[in-house]
Amino acid sequence: MAAHQKQVQQLARQLFAMSLADGSLSAERVAGVLEYVEKNPPAQPMAVLLAYRRLVAVEFARGRAVVEHAGPLGQGVLASIESAMARRYGRPIVAVSKDAPGLLAGMRVRVGDDVYESSVANQLAGLSV
Amino acid sequence: MSTVLEQIEQQIARLSSKAVRKNTGVIRTVADGVAKIDGLSDVVYNEMVQFPGGAIGIALNLEQDEVGCVVLGDISKLKEGDEVQTTGKLLSIPVGKGLLGRVVDALGNPVDGKGPIASTETYPVEKIAPGIIVRKSVSQPLFTGIMAIDSMIPIGRGQRELIIGDRGTGKTTIAIDTIINQAKINKVGLASGDKNFRPVYSIYVAIGQKNSNIVRTIGALEAAGALEFTVIVAAPAADNPANQYLAPYSGAAVGEWFMENGMDALIVYDDLSKHAVAYRQISLILKRPSGREAYPGDVFYLHSRLLERAARLDGKGSLTALPIIETLAGDVSAYIPTNVISITDGQIFLETDLFNQGIRPAVSVGLSVSRVGSSAQIKATKQVGGKLKGELAQFRELAAFAQFGSDLDAKTKGQLDRGARIVELFKQPAFSPVPIEQQVVTLWAMQKGYYDDLDIKKVTAAAVSLRDFFSTRKDALLTEIRTKAALDKDLEAKIKTAVDEWKSSFAA
Ligand SMILES: Nc1ncnc2c1ncn2[C@@H]1O[C@H](COP(=O)(O)OP(=O)(O)OP(=O)(O)O)[C@@H](O)[C@H]1O
Ligand SMILES: [Mg+2]
Repeated sequence: MAAHQKQVQQLARQLFAMSLADGSLSAERVAGVLEYVEKNPPAQPMAVLLAYRRLVAVEFARGRAVVEHAGPLGQGVLASIESAMARRYGRPIVAVSKDAPGLLAGMRVRVGDDVYESSVANQLAGLSV
Repeated sequence: MSTVLEQIEQQIARLSSKAVRKNTGVIRTVADGVAKIDGLSDVVYNEMVQFPGGAIGIALNLEQDEVGCVVLGDISKLKEGDEVQTTGKLLSIPVGKGLLGRVVDALGNPVDGKGPIASTETYPVEKIAPGIIVRKSVSQPLFTGIMAIDSMIPIGRGQRELIIGDRGTGKTTIAIDTIINQAKINKVGLASGDKNFRPVYSIYVAIGQKNSNIVRTIGALEAAGALEFTVIVAAPAADNPANQYLAPYSGAAVGEWFMENGMDALIVYDDLSKHAVAYRQISLILKRPSGREAYPGDVFYLHSRLLERAARLDGKGSLTALPIIETLAGDVSAYIPTNVISITDGQIFLETDLFNQGIRPAVSVGLSVSRVGSSAQIKATKQVGGKLKGELAQFRELAAFAQFGSDLDAKTKGQLDRGARIVELFKQPAFSPVPIEQQVVTLWAMQKGYYDDLDIKKVTAAAVSLRDFFSTRKDALLTEIRTKAALDKDLEAKIKTAVDEWKSSFAA
């Protein structure tokens, strides 16, 4: 059981490594990997693909700044967050916006598993503790 | 209009660069007190993580694609997909004198219904043990109040002495007696106004015990007036394994605070067998590879890093540890017992046979040792009890031999008789530690043959009577023995006069 899991993880990691071009995720490579798996299905294709998906999702999230905010947000803000985060992490980062009315005001930026928070809702939550 | 908005938003964006950064993760699975978490890429080993709803966890397994955390507190509200945050802090608990007289859980929360703990300081639960340079060798005694131990297996401050034996052989009782004795000594010492007096504060860590047992122990401490010098850290059997795993380290943190602040403390871990079982449970759920008796490979480190925290520090205080281990059918060669024996500075071995024969405390003198304590023993005890261990060993040998033949020469008979009297002398009921000066008197009378003409069955009672006589009528002499801590001609003469006086009244 555990040995199987290890094999699945290992194969998923190999597939993931093949999906990178110059250290970043390439849509073309991912398509190639999927095609390969389709043609040469491993022992547990479902488990391998799920593990592969997780690795790709983590990598994908690393290159994205998801900006949650209440109300409209201009392009200028996204661009400035993009450049600030790219400087901070030393890798290209694409900012995307996501509406989150629950924040009241301010915003929350998520890059990978880091979260930057300066929302009013968060500060209120902090006060109520 | 939109440019105005943009300006405001730019301002917000600048603010957001001052925003707090948190590293987060998402619960993937949660079961049996352990949560597996995706993310948390910044977490460090043993770091505290925050779950929604106030529960906290400790990161114990850092793997390539998941983090395994033990959850402290209510696990029932956690579910898959919940967000988890790192805190950047190692687990700390409240410490200080405000905990004395209190019962707390593994996180330092009061569980005795006496309100919040008066404490302003916290101390990390896991800490690297003091290094070699700052340690001092053991040289100050820690009296257990149990005659067999103080005279033959003496313990010093900063020592780690294991109490080991089967179920129900009186392990807990010895530890509690020792705590009660510290409280008694503290009261006398603090009342004497002696500036150099160093009280000993006690910490009793109950791991995996039934609540009823813990309540009984607390009751015994309270009845003896010892609770006010004692902190109780309780992780009962009904508590989740994470809390049971943590409790000894929490207790050690409380004790270390005393040590680091120039005071002396005593800590009892009751017991480390159950602690190892709790750790095994956690490790199996974390899918760590298991080895001998299904314990994980680092179970040795589990206890060595705990017991290494007991020490005597140069220019500071000391922490003495009395870990307890339960054996099965007296088997000290099982995995956990051998581990802990090798980490400690000696062991007090309790035997079921002795216990059942009514020899209580059931200390097996032959199998018990104290590797460092003799340098801490006071001279008076050495003077009156120095030969006892040898005599008892000889007695056991002869007693085994005597079973085969009835033709014993007078000398052998004499040795057997004396040995039997020593065994009787060391019998002591639970929760009644004997002060060291009283021990000296009791043993002095033995050495001088005052019990030799008594019926063997009366020796225990005679010793009790002698001590009663001294405590009611010879208080000044007792104080003199205690403060001098060594017998000279003059003092011995005084003891002789007093014991003669007692003897005539006792025989009459
Ligand atoms: N010196 C003693 N004289 C008389 N009775 C004693 C003595 N020591 C212990 N007992 C009794 O023996 C019983 C078991 O003692 P205790 O609970 O200390 O043993 P234990 O080894 O800690 O047991 P467990 O394995 O259940 O933890 C208790 O009822 C206690 O009162
Ligand atoms: Mg016990």
